[in-house]
Amino acid sequence: MTSTTVAIPSTATRASTKQLATRSTADDLKALPGVLKSEWIKISSLRANKAILGLTAVVGGFVAWAVATLVTDEVQTISEVFIFSTVLTAVFASVAGVLLFSSEAQHGTLATALTAQSARWVIVAAKTTMAIAFGLVLGAAGMVASFGGALLGGLELGSTSMMVTTTLWGLLFTALSAVLGLGIGMIVRHSSGAISTLLVWGLVVENLLTLFLSERISRFLPFVAGNNLLGIEGEGAFAESAATALTRAQDALVFGGYTAVALAVGTILLYRRDTN
Amino acid sequence: MITVSGLTKHYGKRLAVHDMSFDIAAGRVTGFVGPNGAGKSTTMRMMVGLTRPDSGEVRYHGTRYTELKNPARVVGSVLDARCMHPGRTARNHLRAAAALSGLPAQRAEEVLAEVGLETAAGQRAGGFSLGMRQRLALAGALLGNPEVLLLDEPSNGLDPDGIRWLRTYLSDFAQRGGTVFVSSHLIGELSMFADDLVVVGGGRLLAAESVESITARSETTVTVETPQPAELAAVLASQGVRASVSGNRLVLRGTSKAVVSQLAYDSGIRLVELTENSPSLEDSLLDLTRASTEFAAA
Repeated sequence: MTSTTVAIPSTATRASTKQLATRSTADDLKALPGVLKSEWIKISSLRANKAILGLTAVVGGFVAWAVATLVTDEVQTISEVFIFSTVLTAVFASVAGVLLFSSEAQHGTLATALTAQSARWVIVAAKTTMAIAFGLVLGAAGMVASFGGALLGGLELGSTSMMVTTTLWGLLFTALSAVLGLGIGMIVRHSSGAISTLLVWGLVVENLLTLFLSERISRFLPFVAGNNLLGIEGEGAFAESAATALTRAQDALVFGGYTAVALAVGTILLYRRDTN
Repeated sequence: MITVSGLTKHYGKRLAVHDMSFDIAAGRVTGFVGPNGAGKSTTMRMMVGLTRPDSGEVRYHGTRYTELKNPARVVGSVLDARCMHPGRTARNHLRAAAALSGLPAQRAEEVLAEVGLETAAGQRAGGFSLGMRQRLALAGALLGNPEVLLLDEPSNGLDPDGIRWLRTYLSDFAQRGGTVFVSSHLIGELSMFADDLVVVGGGRLLAAESVESITARSETTVTVETPQPAELAAVLASQGVRASVSGNRLVLRGTSKAVVSQLAYDSGIRLVELTENSPSLEDSLLDLTRASTEFAAA
């Protein structure tokens, strides 16, 4: 059947000669503050994110207090113990990163965002910024709570010469974990699927792989590299011999590389996929 | 004006939308109707850039949706009233949407009042009824004070008072020069306020005409009851009037009750009942889309 044009009354004839302003890259950049504000409203208005923050602090404080109280066969100090819970904080940060995107996809607000902001990279940039910020907040909250927990547990402060450096590396780890979660969330687009993927890989698969792979290879696994940023010495999956250990900067590049790839793939899929 | 040109979309081997082209005029309410699976939702998603067409394009006053400087100020759309996080309050939902489009936070309060949800502003959307969600979704579409409204089944879940409010609102919107494009299964409701219709079936455009023009496609029928059905049928046949006979009742096409009454009187045939049935929009649309209906009751 051929198309049929609907009759147009005089008012619409005037409207049909109107030309609408088109968007430029400068307009996209100008839109970024508004999109950031929108993301802040979204993240701060949900109880789930407040719960994650609260949980991070509680777990951080508890882990440090438990180590201080229950580990008696070696002398621990606050400056060593305060970073322990960051391993778990990074898990919480990656979950929060997943939810930044996947909950929007599941509840349909992603479609609303994409109709309002056609430049999808602006949305990615804003969400990445929020993920980094939230990851930093979670990292800081976890470390402060751990400091307090260790103090309550009766530990001495110890040498503080490496505390600032360890704190900064730890914050980088939690920030990158949140962005990794965001990237995985953008790829999988399903909250439980993305979170399961991350947790199973990080807590099970990598631990199994380190049993079979040599340290020269396993040091390049994402969570092995990421957790090594914390500089926690000991046996187990994170232990490396001096000969094969990467520097913290190298660990950051490895973990950051995986994060960047996840974010890049997620962004490509955001552009290519239809959104319902 | 909105110009839809040659929109086509495949999902794998299934053709969801095929070469759809039509214009939507400003200052009028255009209904978008068709059976389930006709391609209405897919077409509307392509109109707001959520779904990429395999070919074709949609332009708003000559500009593609994805090239609009601030889409929310041109097009307000509601494609699914469930598009809201259940854990977020109505106010925060709208504040986030307003910020996304660079609009002041005050607009959230204004549109909440406009749709009658100001008292529920602080409630989480998860506790909303479907009707409240529809209103909140419409509020989101109105944030940018757009000149075009694209609505997919906006009456779903609304009570009769809400449907009347929506009908009045959309009619007023069009009368002020706005463009309204609304899909609905409530044909009776659409017929009360739609000026034009775009009818689709099986992913194809079947008609894009005024409501009156589509209604006129179906014939008026005359129902007659008489104790002399065979005699009357013979008289009518001699005048070229088609009749289907069932017992003492005849259903006639291509005539009027005045003509039938005169013929019966002239032939001395007694009539018990004589009724003229004007075609309804629903009848016309069902006739139009019958061949394209994917899911039909037995």
